[in-house]
Amino acid sequence: MLNRLTRRLVLGMALATTALAGLPAQAFERTDEGNVIVFGGRQAIPVLDPHVRYDWSTRMVQQAVYDALFKYEGNPAELKPWLAQSWEVSEDGKTWTVKLVENAKFHNGDPVNAEAVRYSFERGLVLNKGVAWMYKAFLAPENITVVDEFTVRFQLTEPFAAFQSFLPWWYIVNPAQVKANEVDGDWGQAWLVDHAAGSGPFELGRWEPNALYEMKARKDYWRGWESGDKAPAGVVYRIITEPAAQKAALQRGEADIVEGLTSDDYVQIARVPNIVIQNHAGMTTFGIKFNTQLGPTADINLRKAIAYAMDYDALVAIYNGNAVLETSPFPQGMRGHIDVEGIPRQDLALAKEYLAKTEWANGGLKLQYVHLTGLEEARRIGLVLLDNLKQIGIEVELVSETWPNMVAKGATVETSPHMTSVYTTPISTDPDSVAYQYHPSSHGQYFAMHFYNNPEVAAKIEAARAATDWDTRAALYADIQKQVVADQPEVFGMLQNRRWAHQDYLKGFNFSPVRFTGEVDLYQLWIDAE
Amino acid sequence: MLKFALEKLMTVVMTMLGIAILTFLITNVAPGDPARLIAGPNATADMVDTIRTEYGLDKSLPEQFVVYMGDLLRGDLGRSLVSTKPVLDELLRYAPATIELVLVAMALGIVIGVPLGMLSALWRDSWLDQATRIFSISGVALPAFWFGILLQLLFAVHMGWLPVSGRLPLMTRPPEPITHLLLVDALLRGQWGTFVEGLRYIILPALVLSFPCLASILRVNRAEMIEVLNSDHVTAARAYGLSPFRVVAIYALKNAMLPTLAMIGLRFGWMLGSTVMVETVFDWPGLGLYSVTSALNSDFKPVIGCTLLIGFLFVLTNILVDLSYTLIDPRLRKK
Repeated sequence: MLNRLTRRLVLGMALATTALAGLPAQAFERTDEGNVIVFGGRQAIPVLDPHVRYDWSTRMVQQAVYDALFKYEGNPAELKPWLAQSWEVSEDGKTWTVKLVENAKFHNGDPVNAEAVRYSFERGLVLNKGVAWMYKAFLAPENITVVDEFTVRFQLTEPFAAFQSFLPWWYIVNPAQVKANEVDGDWGQAWLVDHAAGSGPFELGRWEPNALYEMKARKDYWRGWESGDKAPAGVVYRIITEPAAQKAALQRGEADIVEGLTSDDYVQIARVPNIVIQNHAGMTTFGIKFNTQLGPTADINLRKAIAYAMDYDALVAIYNGNAVLETSPFPQGMRGHIDVEGIPRQDLALAKEYLAKTEWANGGLKLQYVHLTGLEEARRIGLVLLDNLKQIGIEVELVSETWPNMVAKGATVETSPHMTSVYTTPISTDPDSVAYQYHPSSHGQYFAMHFYNNPEVAAKIEAARAATDWDTRAALYADIQKQVVADQPEVFGMLQNRRWAHQDYLKGFNFSPVRFTGEVDLYQLWIDAE
Repeated sequence: MLKFALEKLMTVVMTMLGIAILTFLITNVAPGDPARLIAGPNATADMVDTIRTEYGLDKSLPEQFVVYMGDLLRGDLGRSLVSTKPVLDELLRYAPATIELVLVAMALGIVIGVPLGMLSALWRDSWLDQATRIFSISGVALPAFWFGILLQLLFAVHMGWLPVSGRLPLMTRPPEPITHLLLVDALLRGQWGTFVEGLRYIILPALVLSFPCLASILRVNRAEMIEVLNSDHVTAARAYGLSPFRVVAIYALKNAMLPTLAMIGLRFGWMLGSTVMVETVFDWPGLGLYSVTSALNSDFKPVIGCTLLIGFLFVLTNILVDLSYTLIDPRLRKK
C-alpha cells in the first residue's frame, strides 16, 4: 500500500510541477508597441517629486520623465544644454540669463516655457527639501524672473561659480498640472509622489511601490530618439532586493540590466555567456573619516600614523582590482584635481614615528571602526585596518551600523565615531561639490563626520566658490587639496569602479561618472534584437 | 457565548494596546535620526527642521506618544516618512499579498504535513518515517534566507521551471480586485492564465515559508497519531471490524487533530513574522518587505502599523483556532 501511495504521490507531484513549469522566461519583455527594457534595481522609489527627493534610483526615473535646463552626459561628464538653448552670465557672475528651446512640450502638450522654469525653481526653493540646498544660499524665489516667453533670468545674491553645474538636477514641472492637483497649498506634493508632470522621454505607466515602476516611451519626444526605430517602447524598473536574486534574474533573463551585485558576483557573472559587464572608473571616493575634534583621533600624529599603517593595495584587491587609489581628496576626473605629492602610502616605520609622538607610543589604544551593515567590502576594509594597526600596537573594534544610525552618529561631534568608512559621490563636476565637504558648514552631514575645521582652508573654499575666473579657482583648489592631505582628516582610500551587468543585446549604455551609484541614463538604452 | 465573545474582544483590545505601546517605545528609543535621513545627504539644518516639524518629530517623546495614541484611537496610524503616504493606506495595499502568501503556505503545510504525519505514525520506524524525520529536522533547521536562494538557483536558474521572484510576469496586469487576493480574484474573474501564472510565482516563496510549519505539523501529528492509535477506543473500533481507513482517517485523526490545530494557530503567527525574510528574498510586495524597508529607513510608523496588523491577525487566528476546537471536540461544545 505504501509503495502504491508513494508512486501516486511522486506521479502527482511530477504532473503538478510540469503543469506549473513554463518555458524559460524570455530575455526582454515584448509589447505591441515594441521592446521593454527591464532594469533590476535594489532600491525603491518612494517619492518621485523632483523637488522633494533624490537618490540614485529616484533620480534615474526623474531624469526619464522630466527634463532640465542642462544634462550631464559622457565620460568625463560634460554639461550639455537640454531645455536651454543659450545662456549668458554677467561679468560679476551674479546674473544668469537662459534662453530656452521653443519646441519642448510637456506630456500633456503644454509648452515648456520660462514661466514653467521660474515656477519649478520657486517650488524647489519654497519647499526647502531635496535639491533646495544647492541654491538656497544664493537664490531667492523672487529673484527668478520671466524675461519673455522663452527667456528666464536668475539673479544671484552673490556669485556662485558652481551655479551651472547644479542645473541638471533641477527638473522642470508643468505648473498647470501641479496647480490643478494642489491640496491645501501643498504645491502638489501629495500628487507628485507617484505622478509626473514632465516633458522627458518617458511618461509614467504602472506605479506599484516595492514591486515595479513602469515608464512608457514618448515616441513624439521633442528631442527625438538617437536610437531611431530601435528606441524601446518603455522601461520597467523592477525591485530585486537581494544581489543573489538579481544575479539569478539576469541569468534567467528576467532582467536585462542589474546594478548592485557584490564584487565577487560581478566576477562570476562575467563568465556567463551573453552577459556584459560595464566597468568604469567612477568618482565615488572611499575614505575612513576620523573624528578630528574629539577623542584620540583629534591628535594629528595618530591620524598620520594610521594613514601610513594602512595597506592601500589591499583596498584595490578587495575590489578584485576594480578600483584605483585616491591621489587627492578630489576624485580623479574632477575639474581642478591634482595629484598631491606625499599622499600617504603604507610605510610602517613612518607610522611608528608618528605614533611615537602621541601619548599611545607604548600601545594601549583601542579605536572603533564603523561600517555600514551589509556592505561586505567596507567590512573587509575594516579587517585590513584591524590587521594593519595591530602591527603598530593599536586595537580596532569593528562596529556595523545601519545607514540611519550611521548618519545620526555622524551628526554631532560628540557621537561621531573614531573612524567611519564613508563612500561619497560628488553631485556635480564642479570642484566645489567636493571641496565643500571640508568646510565647517558641512559638519553634521555624513560625509563631513570628520568635523574638520581649518579656517584657512574654509576661507579658500569660500573664495573659490565666489571667483568667476577659472585660473584663480584652480590655484585655490590646488592649495585646498594639499592642505587637506596635510591635515589628514581621513584616510584617503580609493575610487571603486562603477559596475553594471547586462544582456549583450542591450545597447546604448552611456556611462557618466557624475551619476549616482547604479544610476543609468535610460533615454539612451535600446535593444538590438527582433 | 456572549461572555466568550466579550472575553475574546477584551483580549484583542489589550493585546493591541500592549503592542502599540511596546513598539512605539522600542522604535523611538532606537538610535537614528529619521528626519535627517529623509532630508537627504546634503540637507542643511533648517531643511532637516522642516521635515521634523512636518512630521511632529520636533516634539518630545511623551508628546509624540500622546499624539500617536490619540490618532490611533481614531484609526489614524500616521504617515510614512519615506513614502509620505498614510500608513493605513499602505497596510491595506501590502496586506493582501502577505495574507495570500501565508494562506497558501499554510495550506501546503497542512496538506503535506498532516498526511505525512499520519503515514509516519502508521508505519513507525519504516523508511518513510525515517525520511520524514530528516525532512522535519531540515524544515526547522534550514534558514529561510538560504533555502530560498537555493530553490531560486535550482528551480529558476538551473531548471528554468519557475520564476526567480515577483508576484506576476511584468507585463501581466493583475485582475480587477474583488478580494484583493490575486489568485482568488483571478479565479473569480475567470482569468485562468493569470491564475496559473500566479501559482507559478507563489509556489517557491510559499514552499520556503511553509517548510518549518510543515515540519512542526508533521511531527506533532505523528506523535498524536501514535498515541491515539494505541488508545482503547481505536482498539475497540478495530475489534468491531471497521475498515482500517475509517479507523485511521475518521476516529484516530479527528482525536489527533486538537494539538495539531493549536500548532497551526501558533505557526500562523510565526509565518506572518517570517514573511520578512521570505518576501525580501522573493521580492514579494507584502507587509514583510514593507516593514523591513521601513525599519532600515528608521521609518517607525509603518513598523508600528505592521506590528499591530500582524499582532491582530495572530490574535484573530488563535480565536478561530479556539472556536474550531468546539467543532472537533463535542465535550468542549458542552462546556
